[in-house]
Amino acid sequence: MSRIYERLSTAILEGDAEQAGKLAQRGLDQGLAAKDILDNGMVPGMDEVGIRFRAGDMFVPEVLMSADAMQAGLNVLRPVLIASGVKLIGKILMGTVKGDLHDIGKNLVNMMCEGAGFEIIDIGFNADPEKFVEGIKEHHPDVVGMSAMLTTTMRAMAHTIKAIEEAGLRDQVKIMVGGAPVDQAFADRIGADGYGSNAPGGSELAKKFVGAA
Amino acid sequence: MPSLEKLPVVILSCQVLEDLLGRFLPEELAGDVVYMDYGLHRVPSKMTWTLQDALNSIEQPSLVVLGYGLCGNGLRGLKSGQHTLLVPRVDDCIALLLGSRRAYIREFEAVPGTYYLSKGWLESGSHPLLEYQEYVPKYGADQAMWLMDQQYRHYERLVLVAHSQADLESYRPQALEVASFCGRWGMRYEEILGSDGYIRRLVELLSGVAEKGLDGLNGAGDDFLVIPPGGEILQEQFMR
Repeated sequence: MSRIYERLSTAILEGDAEQAGKLAQRGLDQGLAAKDILDNGMVPGMDEVGIRFRAGDMFVPEVLMSADAMQAGLNVLRPVLIASGVKLIGKILMGTVKGDLHDIGKNLVNMMCEGAGFEIIDIGFNADPEKFVEGIKEHHPDVVGMSAMLTTTMRAMAHTIKAIEEAGLRDQVKIMVGGAPVDQAFADRIGADGYGSNAPGGSELAKKFVGAA
Repeated sequence: MPSLEKLPVVILSCQVLEDLLGRFLPEELAGDVVYMDYGLHRVPSKMTWTLQDALNSIEQPSLVVLGYGLCGNGLRGLKSGQHTLLVPRVDDCIALLLGSRRAYIREFEAVPGTYYLSKGWLESGSHPLLEYQEYVPKYGADQAMWLMDQQYRHYERLVLVAHSQADLESYRPQALEVASFCGRWGMRYEEILGSDGYIRRLVELLSGVAEKGLDGLNGAGDDFLVIPPGGEILQEQFMR
């Protein structure tokens, strides 16, 4: 049985969407729980992708294909997960900050967080501080995630945190930041609650925030 | 700092600035420029250690000019060692090509999703059409286009920056070829006549150094970082 987990991890690491979808389905057909397929097959595959990307051993195209494979697996598992009534562990409001229209990283974090059992409210890219504030008011998330791909735009994270503070909403949410130029020192400096160095790191952080790690 | 000390000047610069620097550097400095491969941009950590190696291999204590911006944190963590570093205080080379940080911010705020082309980037760098052409043999045409779509679908504008009408004209055909490819994402094509202001200020600083030693750097102001020996380049130094 564990062979299928291993093969699924490999399919994701290699970015083989067709194979990932098939293997997820085969796992279900063999009576494996959707949650187990996700946790033991798919998430470890993406964890490895995160590590290799950060180390410069994998590049954006490969990561995109791995994400596509993860998506293919999730598409198979999602209806089963919903039908089985697996309880959501929290809600995340996620967006790429103002001035930045790169959403590959954000979408990856969304996928990992969805895989970890979160409900995701995606407010898209080039999202100005007000959009985050309105999103918090409307959806009452546990966690707010911000992404930026450029050093030019990461400053908008600080502005967004400030806007959330000024709206009196800061203590209602945990804030996590990430993206290529972001590091722990920057996260500390702007008053974020945490920093994720890659997509799996982001989902681990979110789990910690809601006491699920 | 000993004020009248004549420090040798070494310039380590990205290839992308070769044209602009070549135009303004006085003859006595032109020979001291080492142009680094633009490909370092693909992996910022590689840029850091390649530049660190280059710095460490300069034997005499020198004033080392880095022809870079923060470049996706590529310069973060660089240690000056025995040298003094002089670095334009910009996020990347676009501000240098446009002539000022203010000009860059103006363009950025007008259209955040802008992809810039310049003589240097067209000749030695990378752009979406080239990227696609590199993907095709690796991933096949369909997959290559899917990858491109994922990366560029939100961009709105392609801008050719050049520093003379003649350069605009001579690079226009190539830029238009890229623009026609980028049309699939609805990107429009524009041209901007850049300014050599930033590079000229840098060259002026260097002539000040030739005259007055390190005291010549006193006028560096907000637009340049001066990292003394034993110092380190930090990300926050670029935030303003």
